[in-house]
Amino acid sequence: MSSDERERTGLYVESTIIMTTVRVVSPFVLTFALFVMFHGANSPGGGFQGGVIAGSVVMMLAFAYGIDAAREWLDVRVVAALASGGVLLFAAIGLGTMLLGGNFLEYHLYEQFLSHATAYGIELVELGIGGIVASVAIGLFFLLAAGFGHAVDSPEGES
Amino acid sequence: MTLSLIEAALLVFVLGCALGAAVLRDVLASLMAFAAYSLGVSIIWVMLEAPDVGLTEAAVGAGIMTILFILALANTVRPQEDGLFESIHVRTVVLVGAFVVVMLATVPSLPAIGADGAANPVVSGEVTQYYIENAYADTEVHNAVTAVLAAYRGFDTLGEAVVVFSAGVAALTVLRQEVFA
Repeated sequence: MSSDERERTGLYVESTIIMTTVRVVSPFVLTFALFVMFHGANSPGGGFQGGVIAGSVVMMLAFAYGIDAAREWLDVRVVAALASGGVLLFAAIGLGTMLLGGNFLEYHLYEQFLSHATAYGIELVELGIGGIVASVAIGLFFLLAAGFGHAVDSPEGES
Repeated sequence: MTLSLIEAALLVFVLGCALGAAVLRDVLASLMAFAAYSLGVSIIWVMLEAPDVGLTEAAVGAGIMTILFILALANTVRPQEDGLFESIHVRTVVLVGAFVVVMLATVPSLPAIGADGAANPVVSGEVTQYYIENAYADTEVHNAVTAVLAAYRGFDTLGEAVVVFSAGVAALTVLRQEVFA
């Protein structure tokens, strides 16, 4: 753990230019990610692409402020909740129509509760996909950054 | 088929980057060539009027993949080697060449770019026409790609989303971690 942390700080270069740029740019990138996710119904984009862009915001922060700082700042429960919540949301919307007596993902059965239910249903599904993709991208980033040092018992893998 | 100057330049750029990714000796340089290749291909997708694919290629291929590869590289030892290019083996060239020939053999049977009507079975096909005519009435979304992805083929998409989720879980298992960060 400690040797790993030393190596991490060795990789990280504290740069005012990068930190300032990331601080200015990241809100816009997150907004763009949400735009791609929400607007995927009417323009190119959707959950997969928007999710990746949203995940890249955390990676930008990690590059600017250090991976360890980003790891501490990020609440792992939020990441896990996004990943499993996305799958649950998608499956629940799909299975809900079966409960109402239709087929899987037959959105228009929700019309009895809500007008334009099809459009809202697709939007929710896209959001669910976005959550899965964003959190898995963030997760893979931190897992790869931690390396195999934690996995193997001997620290020989790190050099 | 005539190419505009920009299209020709893009194709040359992408081919050059692909070749660079294959033959450059330094792994980091090869990675950079691969990222540039992805970016070039994403612009080609936009040129071919497939902006959804282009956006995915730019975000995943050029963005996330490059970051993950660099992180993997940072966790390994990079051998110091001389020479700019990898030594090329005849067997590899023959194998890759044969693969390229097989792929190129399928190109003449593709419809011309922008072809319409009977000349382009992809556009004039029954399924495509059905989606174009009914997608908005059925699903209330203008982007037919999203309509197919989230409504007509929603079950497939649930499978894809679960595959992404499982990839995350598999990475956790392999690296013997319990949390995502």
